[in-house]
Amino acid sequence: MKIAFVVQRYGLEISGGAELHCRWVAEHMQKHWDVEVLTTRASDYITWRDHYPKGDDVVNGVSVKRFSVAKPRHPEKFGRLQNYILANEHREEDELKWLEEEGPQSPSLIRYIDEHSDDYDYFIFFSYRYYHSYWGINAVSQKSILVPTAEHDPVIHLHIFKELLRKPQAYIYNSVEERKMINTLARNEHILGDVVGVGTEVPEKVFPEDFRQKYDIQGDYVIYIGRIDENKGCHELFDFFLRFNKDTSSDLKLVLVGSNILKIPVHPDIRYLGFLSEEDKFSGLAGASALIMPSFYESLSMVTLEAWALQKPVLANARCAVLKGQCLRSNAGLFYEDYDEFREALCLLIGSAKLQEALGQKGKAYFDRNYTWNVIENKYLSVVDKLEKRK
Amino acid sequence: MNNQDKNKTTKSETKIQIDYDNINVADIMDQIKAKIAAMPKSTPEPIPPPQGLASPLTPPPDMPPEAEGGRSKLKRLLLKIMKPVAPLIKLLILPVHHDLTETIKTLDLTNRKLDYWSEKLDRDLYRVNETLNTKIEEGDKTVNKRLDLAYDEIGRIKEYTKLLHSLSHNVVVELTKLKIEEEALKMKSRILEKDFEFLGRRERALEDQVFK
Repeated sequence: MKIAFVVQRYGLEISGGAELHCRWVAEHMQKHWDVEVLTTRASDYITWRDHYPKGDDVVNGVSVKRFSVAKPRHPEKFGRLQNYILANEHREEDELKWLEEEGPQSPSLIRYIDEHSDDYDYFIFFSYRYYHSYWGINAVSQKSILVPTAEHDPVIHLHIFKELLRKPQAYIYNSVEERKMINTLARNEHILGDVVGVGTEVPEKVFPEDFRQKYDIQGDYVIYIGRIDENKGCHELFDFFLRFNKDTSSDLKLVLVGSNILKIPVHPDIRYLGFLSEEDKFSGLAGASALIMPSFYESLSMVTLEAWALQKPVLANARCAVLKGQCLRSNAGLFYEDYDEFREALCLLIGSAKLQEALGQKGKAYFDRNYTWNVIENKYLSVVDKLEKRK
Repeated sequence: MNNQDKNKTTKSETKIQIDYDNINVADIMDQIKAKIAAMPKSTPEPIPPPQGLASPLTPPPDMPPEAEGGRSKLKRLLLKIMKPVAPLIKLLILPVHHDLTETIKTLDLTNRKLDYWSEKLDRDLYRVNETLNTKIEEGDKTVNKRLDLAYDEIGRIKEYTKLLHSLSHNVVVELTKLKIEEEALKMKSRILEKDFEFLGRRERALEDQVFK
């Protein structure tokens, strides 16, 4: 069976989001299917400017076809258009214009999908909100499977997406909350779908003590891993954390790992380590009292799954329905809606090693039940099998 | 659930009970929420009044008080010794000394004025703050009263709307019944008309047979 994975960017340098999700799934599914990735030449998600060479490529054993981006994105123009669309009455043409600006605008990719639809059994599209998914699903709707990676983002309410979300033959959701949101918006409960998510692999051995020595971290610490960005709730995290240390006279440290977009407060209790190797990242996570996930918008937090795989508890932002749902289903994390809840939950977590251990064990069990690669691969195979039986 | 498994933690743990063998995050979060709800709500700290508010404000000085010189004996002795050369010293130093004295006097006066105005500003700000707080409290009360009234009104309108909805529903049902009844009666009248026609024809046929 030949399956095309269609995604906005693809490459080893891309270390997060739907792109990494797609790469991991493609790499794991190639033992079951003849997998080919159809993508653009972009590597930067802000401008989508061509970066990779045109044509065929092989990434970790997966063959990749790259298509040029006709027009790079102009971030300011895009921002203005999006603000206009979200704040004003508009027509469908305006939404399509927004989609063109959203990009990555690659008509050659869509043409290829249209012309070679017979060469593939199914097309699995990643991320509903981009140009490739909209026009790709419209071109081959009878063979399309969508991995929406949708968040509670205002653009999902655009009219063009309501129609689009009724077209795929099957869905692979990241979470129960995502499924519920899409079903409510598009009234597409009749379409085949399963909550799958993505698997992750953690190293067998981690070295928390080496991590402490290398980065000179003493005492208890909580860790945040991901892009340090206002959209990820980091601003609120800094505020809450500093208030927490002041109110409780705690000497708890906050360790930040990831690329930095936001200004980080200069404070002895906040340690920014930048972008780390996978080994250091996992060692840091293993040595932490808990992982903090302050993000407001997540369709599936991979780092949360990694924390649970390492038996670490999570303190998550309850205003993100997905994170709250995951914590409740797994019984492996506490959550907060405001500072008072943050203070009490963190106090409880760091004050009891037994609670950390109990939550961590629940997290590991939840991870083993739902997010090991065997489980994920079988779910993908099952969705395609069901589609085949319908034929 | 074993009692030993139910642990209480310190400080925040005096209330939150956790069954470690059967962790239930929803239950823990409910307990955290209940604990927060039971906490006294922190109110903004009142601004302390400026010091010495009760005491009258000292008016700004027009002239600085004369500085009281210490060590006057030594000073007098030195002046005596220097008396013969005093005219020369005065001639050389007086302008500078005079300027310095004047400057110090001016600076001192300015400082006192600044202190006065700063204290006055503090007092005025405190009064403004007090007035604003009183007005905000009054405003809050008025708004809350109005909100309560509005909620009551909304409640009444809700009930009224429900009644109207129920009424219109009943009217529609009754109209539908009447329509059906009307249709049935029409049908009956049509059948009766046909029966009547048939009987007429039969009558005419019988008459024909009788009078043949």
